[in-house]
Parts: sequence; C-alpha cells; structure tokens
Amino acid sequence: MKSEYNVQLVNKRVLGDTCAVLTFSCPEIAAEGRPGQFINLSCSKFLKRPFGIMCTDKVSGTFSIGVRKVGKGTEQILTANEGDQFTVLGPLGNGFDFDGVGKLILVGGGTGIFPIFFAAEYASELGIPVTVVNGYRSKADAFLYEDFSKITENFMVTTDSGDLGIKGNVMACLSELDKAITDGATCFVVGPGIMMQKVSEWAMANGLSCYVSLEQRMACGIGACLVCVCKIKAEQEGKEFVHKRCCKDGPVFRAEEVIW
Amino acid sequence: MSIAVKVGEVKLKNPIILASGTCGFGRELAEYMDLGKLGALSSKGLTLLPRDGNKSVRVAETPSGMLNCVGLQNPGVDAFLETELDYMVQTGAGVVVNVAGHSDEDYLAMVEKLDPYKEKIDAFELNFSCPNVKEGCMVIGSSPKAIQSLVSRLRKLTDLPLWVKLTPNVTSVSETAKGAEAGGADAIVAINTMLGMAIDIKTRRPILHNNTGGLSGPCVKPVAIRMVHEIYDAVKIPVVGCGGISTYEDVLEFMIAGASAVELGTISLVHPTRPVEIVNDLEQYVKQNNIEGLASLTGTLEMWR
Repeated sequence: MKSEYNVQLVNKRVLGDTCAVLTFSCPEIAAEGRPGQFINLSCSKFLKRPFGIMCTDKVSGTFSIGVRKVGKGTEQILTANEGDQFTVLGPLGNGFDFDGVGKLILVGGGTGIFPIFFAAEYASELGIPVTVVNGYRSKADAFLYEDFSKITENFMVTTDSGDLGIKGNVMACLSELDKAITDGATCFVVGPGIMMQKVSEWAMANGLSCYVSLEQRMACGIGACLVCVCKIKAEQEGKEFVHKRCCKDGPVFRAEEVIW
Repeated sequence: MSIAVKVGEVKLKNPIILASGTCGFGRELAEYMDLGKLGALSSKGLTLLPRDGNKSVRVAETPSGMLNCVGLQNPGVDAFLETELDYMVQTGAGVVVNVAGHSDEDYLAMVEKLDPYKEKIDAFELNFSCPNVKEGCMVIGSSPKAIQSLVSRLRKLTDLPLWVKLTPNVTSVSETAKGAEAGGADAIVAINTMLGMAIDIKTRRPILHNNTGGLSGPCVKPVAIRMVHEIYDAVKIPVVGCGGISTYEDVLEFMIAGASAVELGTISLVHPTRPVEIVNDLEQYVKQNNIEGLASLTGTLEMWR
C-alpha cells in the first residue's frame, strides 16, 4: 500500500534569487524514484505542488527536487529551512523508459533541467552514451552547470543572451549536432511547451524517437481527479483526441502522440 | 458500539462515502487505502455516451479549496458496466452510481440500462447539480418542479434507492429538496460544488478555460452545514451531507446538523489516506465517548432560541 510520507528538509542549496535544490529525507522515494517521475509536496496553500525528481540517494535515503518561484506556493516552499517538515506523495507518474535506448540526447529548459539531470545521471550509470543540451536565459541563470559538467562529457548549453555557450535557444544547438550523435538516438525533453514542441518536430523530422514530459496544473497527482489532462492523439478511428491524465498516464508521452 | 449507519434502506458500515468525481471508480485511491473499510464509493458522474470533458485549464486553487471544471469526463455508462462496476463491487465498499444527463431522456435511459445490475448497486445518485456542463444537471436541479417531474419518472423505472444530489447554486435548497421528496426520492445529497470564478490578473482572463468552475474543499463547509440543516428540517427523507469534510470532527458536525451519512473527496486529493483515517477516528470517538451508535447523533442539533 502506498503512503503519504512525512519528510524533513535536510539540505537547501540556493541557486540564485528564485531557485533552490531541496533535499528531503525519505527512504521510500529514494529507493523507488526514477527519472521523469515527480513528487507532490505540501506547502502553506491547500493543494500540494508537483516537482520532477532531480536525483535520489539510496544510501542516505534522500531525494532532491529543484524549485523555482512561480507563485505563492513555490515562494513559501523556497523560504523553508533545513529541518522543516513537509508531507509528500511519490514517486508519481510513469517516468522515462530507458529500455532499448542505445544512445540518448537529453534536452532541458527552465525547471525541466532538474529532471533532465536525473535522466543524465541514470543513463550514465546504465552505460548509455548521453548528450545533454540545456537552454538557459543567460550565464547568471545557468544553474547546475557544474553538476552536468561532472557527469557528462557531451554537455552543451545555449543562452538567449549569448554570454555562455551557443547564442539562441536549444534548436540552434540541436540542428548542428553531428550525425554520429543523432543517428539512432532517443531524445528526452523536459521544458517549456514551445521548446518541447520544437524539439519534437526536429526529432521526428530526423527519425529520432522522442519523449516529452508534459506539465499541467494538478490537484491530486495520483490520477483520481482528472483536472490535469493533456490532449493525446486518439487511436480510435474518427476521434481526434483523448484526454489523458498528465499525472498518471504521463507525465512522459511519446512526442508523436501529443497534440500541442 | 457501532459506527454503522443507514441512509433509508441502505446500510453502510460507516458514514464515509467518497464523493463522486473525487475518486474515479476507486482504482487510484485503492493504491493508498483499503476501500473496503469505507461506507461507500460514489462513482464518477456517468453519462449515456462517453465524454471528453472540458479543455484544460481545469483547476484553480483558492483559499482552503479549489475550483474545478472537469466537465464530467467519463467513459460512458456502457464502458462502466463492462469494466468498472465489478471493480467497485469487489472493493467491499458500498456502490453508489452517480448518473448525469443532458436531458430527462438521458437519465431515464441510463437508469433503464443500470437497473438490471441492481444486485451490485446500493443506490443511484442523481446528479442534478454538476455546474460544469451546459445542459441537464444543474439546469434541472435549479427547479423544484423539474426535479420532482424527473424523479417521479425515474421512480417508475427502478426499485433501487434514488438519492438526489443537489446544487447549492439556488435561492432555496429546501425547495429543491422538497421537489425531490415529492418526486419519490429516497435521500438528498447536499451539496455539490458552488459555482465560482478565479481571474489571472496578468492576462485578465479566467484561470479556468470553462470560465467558471465548482468550488470545493474546507472553504465551503459552513455553507454545506447550513444547507444540510435546512434540508433536514424541510424534508422527511434522510440527508447525506457533503462539502469540505476533512476530519472526523467535520463528520460529526454534519451528522449533528442532520446528515445520516457524509460524502467527502476534495481532502483525499490532498491526503489520499485521510478517508480511512477518519473511519478509524470515528471508531475511537464512539469508544471514548461511550456512544452506543454513531447514527444516534443525526439531527441532534439544538438551536439557540
């Protein structure tokens, strides 16, 4: 039987003004969490808030998430101190499927960079060759830059400002990737909708299998309330779409089945 | 000492019913608790044909609650009979089937389809109160006469208990309750969600794509209790109380106000194990307070004169 866990914030690593990596003690989520899955975390507001898992540590029994200030809930979570108590549900959602993946291109943007980190770490452990392309606003915004540099050799960044890596968005980098990297690769994308859509189109045009992690406003996170649905192409003839639950059927979907 | 209750002829092992639309058909919450420990489950609102529901965004948080505009996304009554009814039965909880329609004819057709499975169903819950669809439901539920007329037609089609779930979005909920009673309803369920709106001040648009949605959660509890009490005074049939219940104390409040049983659900979207915890708390409560039967609390409210 699954539970709602009482967890303690054991480490807070501030990343600039509006972002932090929060690490919580929870042996169950540390043991079970997989890349692409998320947790639902309590805050001072009524509903919990969903966050993609950034990493787990089975030895210390902890998991980490990246939080960026979006509204009042995340703002309050970011004011928490080490030792503070939360309740959490998780791991939730389907996560990425690494079965049969020969090589991997990971593309991250915004808070999607946190779950992409978990995927990069996990793939490296499995011995899958990984290329990471992260899109940032600027050098000052390039959180986890050092962390990615440590775990992957093929780490590329783009910035809107051009003060770090390639100037432009992730497409500027992807379109220049060597065939040796792209041929037969699988692509996982987590980031803003427009970014995931553009990367999906690029991946499909180049024959790569591509998976995206969708985001919707959620309530329960466990598939009961149906508020977080996404439009997914219907298999049934004569029907354009079906509403699938982002939290339970996703958040990871095949790029070609998503209706943007 | 017992926490068993009765809603008319329907016997429940305790007063806790998972409210329609907050628990699907039980599958997801079954991962978090033994549903067999609950009084009953009320199914996701069913329609004659499958429905995709409304476009996202479907949820907006509010102080102590939330607005939703799911819009009755459901697989339709045929798929329910094929894949979900037996699942609900095997959970061990009572089975309440929530029926929603675009028109009187929809309700009649659905009850006709479902009635042959009466051995597996404890009660029909007639959804005259969903605020997120354009036809049927709340439109019917806003008129005491329309309620009476439809309930009396449905009454002729089935011997199963007919519970009428009422909307709070009316001038007088005691009048709509009386309409249901006059039509032959066996119980009133009150309340469904309250119609509300939330606005994004940057875009100056409603947050919900449906513009409006149904408000639920602890914020509606005082209104729900007031309405349950009004209905309890207005009709002779039992009342199932619903609206913002989060603790066993809330359950007691509703029962004292006049409820024979209660529905809850928004709280399990935040704490999925809470319904079973409330059952355990009620057991403790009757023991500690030496209460022979929890059912004896129903309607024991003494008003100030």
